[in-house]
Amino acid sequence: MGIVIAVISGKGGVGKTTATANLGLGIAMNDKNCIVVDFDIGQRNLDMILGLENRVVYDLVQVMDGDAKLKQAIIKSKVNENLHFLAASQSKDKSVLESKKVEKLVAELRESYDYVILDSPAGIESGFEHTIEFADAAIVVVNPEVSSIRDADRAIGILDSKSQKVKNGEEVAKYLIINRISAEMVQSGEMLKSEDILNILNIKLVGKVPEDKGVVDASNQGKPVILDKKSEAGQAYTRIAGRLCGQKVDMKDIEISNVGLFKKITGMFR
Amino acid sequence: MFDWLFGKKDSASIAKDRLTIAIMSDRDSMNELPFMSEMKAEIVEVVKKYVGVRAVEIKKEVHGDLEALSIDVELDPNGEKLN
Repeated sequence: MGIVIAVISGKGGVGKTTATANLGLGIAMNDKNCIVVDFDIGQRNLDMILGLENRVVYDLVQVMDGDAKLKQAIIKSKVNENLHFLAASQSKDKSVLESKKVEKLVAELRESYDYVILDSPAGIESGFEHTIEFADAAIVVVNPEVSSIRDADRAIGILDSKSQKVKNGEEVAKYLIINRISAEMVQSGEMLKSEDILNILNIKLVGKVPEDKGVVDASNQGKPVILDKKSEAGQAYTRIAGRLCGQKVDMKDIEISNVGLFKKITGMFR
Repeated sequence: MFDWLFGKKDSASIAKDRLTIAIMSDRDSMNELPFMSEMKAEIVEVVKKYVGVRAVEIKKEVHGDLEALSIDVELDPNGEKLN
């Protein structure tokens, strides 16, 4: 029996799909059997980030409607044999998601994989509540920026009211990823510190990911950034995937590390 | 870059303060109870038996451990009243 984790955010564009792809691959690299599922119906993107867009034949809506078998729709990753992928439908919209069908699909996936990662639509969209309904845990992705954080709080509120686990009197685990941190801006007081974001949202931190140009370059090529050992964002995702696999990985303080003293001094005279 | 010398508040702390307040008020409005509108309609019915009503407002208030409903009924002396 595997664990089901929904990757969520309040607003779109914070890096949810990138996080899903990298964490899925990172978990697979830890020798766990993992499937990433794109629940963002109508805005299919996870296939692009994984470089699997040409392999998609059947999507999850067809599987849920019984028009395709689950086995036919699941795509194997090119870079890691432990990683599997189920695509969103591009032609339908998010309203096609039905609670009962989602429950059945999630239960089936849970049987066959150690980790089931669901890439959710943004929290303010329809379809969000069905994605999170049957998840054991949620990873909330935010950027250190006011609108992203405010919307994330609303998404967490919806999670707490719609989650099946909460309805059963249990707790749904929630973890925060702060994405696109600029150390220089935090240092100069132009960007919120992680500590402040955690205090405001009141949830546990699972990792911080720095702003990294390599992320765009990686998605251009359809190769998740975690494969680039030199990339700082890639290293951050490796650490987070390790934590999700139960390893004790120290939290690296990316908010101070990458501005060297020399750079600081030269910066003063610019 | 010498802003800090003159005690100008940095934008991150402004963001923190604004967010704290905005999220607190968002959370309050999420606390709207699901039966609120039904209850409002029933209160109007009851009060209308005796006196005209213009509006009813119900708020959930939380003071530490104490939760209370505050119900404001605005009367309408010329309003219609049922017998």
